Amino acid sequence: MNGPTTREYEPKATSAVNRLRLASGPALGPVLCRVVSMVLTRADWPVDRLEEAMLVCDALCAHGPRHANNGHLTFSMHADESEAEMRVYEFEREDAEALLRDTSLPVVGNVLEQVADRVSVVSDEDDPERVQIVIALSAS
Amino acid sequence: MTPDMELTLPARAENIAIVRHALGGLGEAFGVPESKLSDIRLAVTEACANVVVHAYPEDMEGAMEVHANIDGPEMTVMVRDWGHGIRPRSDSPGLGLGLSLMAALAERVQLGHGTEEHTEVRMTFGLDGVERTNEVISGMITLTGTSGLA
Repeated sequence: MNGPTTREYEPKATSAVNRLRLASGPALGPVLCRVVSMVLTRADWPVDRLEEAMLVCDALCAHGPRHANNGHLTFSMHADESEAEMRVYEFEREDAEALLRDTSLPVVGNVLEQVADRVSVVSDEDDPERVQIVIALSAS
Repeated sequence: MTPDMELTLPARAENIAIVRHALGGLGEAFGVPESKLSDIRLAVTEACANVVVHAYPEDMEGAMEVHANIDGPEMTVMVRDWGHGIRPRSDSPGLGLGLSLMAALAERVQLGHGTEEHTEVRMTFGLDGVERTNEVISGMITLTGTSGLA
């Protein structure tokens, strides 16, 4: 056979952002969406799932600032070719729960729960008085 | 002052693209002119490339931290690492133009070591095209720029 007609298997690198802390201002949406889209693109996610991840970002940016601690939202993200996990940090438990409630839309329901495989609120190991919102997404 | 954006990533070459995109989002949000944003992205790319190439031994993966803040007519970007920092390297794969380029693109570049044993490159860009007075921060070298290549 002539030429490279088959593509050899190459293991995909995982893609990660250790920490992204953004002021609750005009840069929140543009920066978060770009960073998340880069992380998922690098992990070779399909475009339709990437667009759904943008819905998650939009929902967090629309409602997060109302519940943010000290006017900032802090994220981390890692992704491989099949799944991704985004964490949103530094919430009081009631604020995290209120944020999740706020992302519900009439008819559609909760945007985060519709798009994500799993949404949970877990205690922060470093700060027992704070919680993290964990959003798990899958590429398929 | 708390920065508008703090981004911490593994110090890998491919992550410089994430920094560039994040700066693009920040610039877009604050209406930074595209030509100025190109200068900022190029200078920050050089600083991040220095971290990737020089800061950590090849068998060690460290962190690259970028803080960016827009305050009135100035944008300040700080790039940090916790490795060797910038030092002469005989086998350097680069052309050795990084610092000169940063100095040409920014109005002020400050290099130094912070209190947390990190190396820090702090670049200040004027957003209104007006050249500013230099300041010397204790323990830091200050390079003077000419506000862009153009």
